[in-house]
Amino acid sequence: MGWVSAGLLGLVIMWVTVMVSRGVWDVETQRSRLSDKQYRPSNKQDAKRLLPTSRYRDLGGGGENRPLRAHELPNPLNPTEDALASLVLSVPHAAMQDEGFLKSRKFMKYSRYVVLLVFTGFVLPLFTLTYASGAFGTERESRSLVWLMTRPIPRSGIYLAKYLGTLPWCLAFGLGGFVAVCLAGGDVGREALTRYWPAAAMGTVAFASLFHLIGAIFRRPVVVGLVYVFFFETVVAVLPGSLKLLSLTFYARSLMYNEAVSAGHPGQMLPTMTEAVSSETAWAVLALAPVLITLLGMWLFSRSEYRDDE
Amino acid sequence: MSEESKTDLRRAGVVRPLMNSIVPNEVHVHQGGSRARSPNSVEPLLLFEQVSKWYGSVLALNQVTLELTGGITGLVGANGAGKSTLLRMANGQLKPTLGRVSVRGTDAWDWKARRLVGYCPDIDAFYEDLSGRRFVWTMARLCGYTRAESNRRTEAVLERVGMSGRADRKLRGYSKGMRQRIKLAQALLHDPELLILDEPLSGIDPIGRQELLELFQALAAQGKCLLISSHELEALEKLTNHVVIMARGRIAAVGTLQQIREMLDDHPVSVRIDVDRPREVARLLLGLPEVLAVDVAPKLGAGVEAIVVKARNPKRFFELFGQIAVEHQLNVRQLEPLDESAHAILGYLLGGSGRT
Repeated sequence: MGWVSAGLLGLVIMWVTVMVSRGVWDVETQRSRLSDKQYRPSNKQDAKRLLPTSRYRDLGGGGENRPLRAHELPNPLNPTEDALASLVLSVPHAAMQDEGFLKSRKFMKYSRYVVLLVFTGFVLPLFTLTYASGAFGTERESRSLVWLMTRPIPRSGIYLAKYLGTLPWCLAFGLGGFVAVCLAGGDVGREALTRYWPAAAMGTVAFASLFHLIGAIFRRPVVVGLVYVFFFETVVAVLPGSLKLLSLTFYARSLMYNEAVSAGHPGQMLPTMTEAVSSETAWAVLALAPVLITLLGMWLFSRSEYRDDE
Repeated sequence: MSEESKTDLRRAGVVRPLMNSIVPNEVHVHQGGSRARSPNSVEPLLLFEQVSKWYGSVLALNQVTLELTGGITGLVGANGAGKSTLLRMANGQLKPTLGRVSVRGTDAWDWKARRLVGYCPDIDAFYEDLSGRRFVWTMARLCGYTRAESNRRTEAVLERVGMSGRADRKLRGYSKGMRQRIKLAQALLHDPELLILDEPLSGIDPIGRQELLELFQALAAQGKCLLISSHELEALEKLTNHVVIMARGRIAAVGTLQQIREMLDDHPVSVRIDVDRPREVARLLLGLPEVLAVDVAPKLGAGVEAIVVKARNPKRFFELFGQIAVEHQLNVRQLEPLDESAHAILGYLLGGSGRT
């Protein structure tokens, strides 16, 4: 499971590197949606093509650009309509000149696909599942748990000690993975790292407590954890309505969303997070959840029997 | 069985085999001799009170009552008889579904009870990358000792189990016997009053086995109580005369092997008698009401003149045989009960009860 998680992280880093090098999340270098097979300008080139000077030049047949469409054709015989059309068709170019807009869009695109969807949705839970569920899972598999269970120490103490012992590893690998993914993202990645690491850390701690509990209770913790990650967190966290409030990912994403918005990036650029809870609520939930889950785990574990022949 | 016999049986702490009469509420006491508990006396070291344990729909232990206060007790029974369940309850790994298990008055499930219990499990699982010394030291630390105290206790128990000079290798390279010794060492770390040993002699060579048997006897001499589960009945017989026999989740019998044998008075005992004129002796013995059968040509070797007598009520049979031997001046060279071993008793107790 550890190698699978590491492999997944490697794939994500490669994917991010390729996407960043191709400027996929940079609106200027993105290919225009209106491009055809012969002519594939970038958004920036296409916006420039729609400026009045370019349109009039193309009308004279001197341009190298794609033939103008009907609504793009200059209409000098109707100056009012032509002025309005020029105004509207100049908007893309104006947007391309807005450094703030370009930066925000790039950052929010990166945040949406890399941080919120892939890392928080898959990589972080899988990394945490690997190490947190292994605290009891590997001992159960190797049947060495009997040595702990027969010591004169309370079962709840064993549970807590295991959790506290696992947590640094979960944080190291969870945050380490986050740093790696962010560094692969270039400038926006570094900004994401600066803004989102507290949310990633809190999410790691919360997931660690949950998967530690799963590891202590279930005989097949990895299977249960994978089902939880892929079916509950992935689906429920994006469902409209109040069911998403049960998802830990939702609160980590809310923290990230609020952080991005507070940094001046438009929240509308993260359309999946428009129902995010406030930062205070997200912090409270992510701080309380590990405590409550750990207390629940201590209680359940102190009541559970252990058979060393299983 | 007569009422008198039943009384004898209860006095000796022996219960009839399951197939004949089941006495579920019987109390089985072992304390190296009889001892009546007064309300002010010290709590028994290990006490099972009407304990039943269900695994789903399977009844693993059925109203077991058992009290141990000292000495060495052997726990024998077929696979699935409930031995492991009993041992795990005694060290607090399992909770009884009904009844109570206590160690010196503390519920065995309570972690404080484990201060009094050392457990040597049957499983052969370790933290394989640790050395034997490091493993035992870690177990000592988990008992709550300081580093210095853990070091001291580790060296002491390793010395005691004969592993002091061989404990620096990694556990994965140990032989079965060495692993058994390490398991035993960790059980001795906190100097427990009660030692629960599940198959402790398994895989140990004859010399090592003798050493461990001596160690067990030394521990018992120190006042510790040892509950030893083993399939190796011969070894167990050398170690202790006191056994708990389990069958189908119940305690079928508790007591010394001799007591159990004697209480099984209607179970035929086989006796080999090396004597001159075996046919004549056979004719005389067949006249006794206790004798069920006589084999005048047992396969005991060429030239051996002997008979094998199958008789019930051994005590009475030996009395009558003595009289006949004197009256007829029989030259008895050897008189040997063939089935007083634990194997034979266990076979009888469990065999008659059907599958276990």
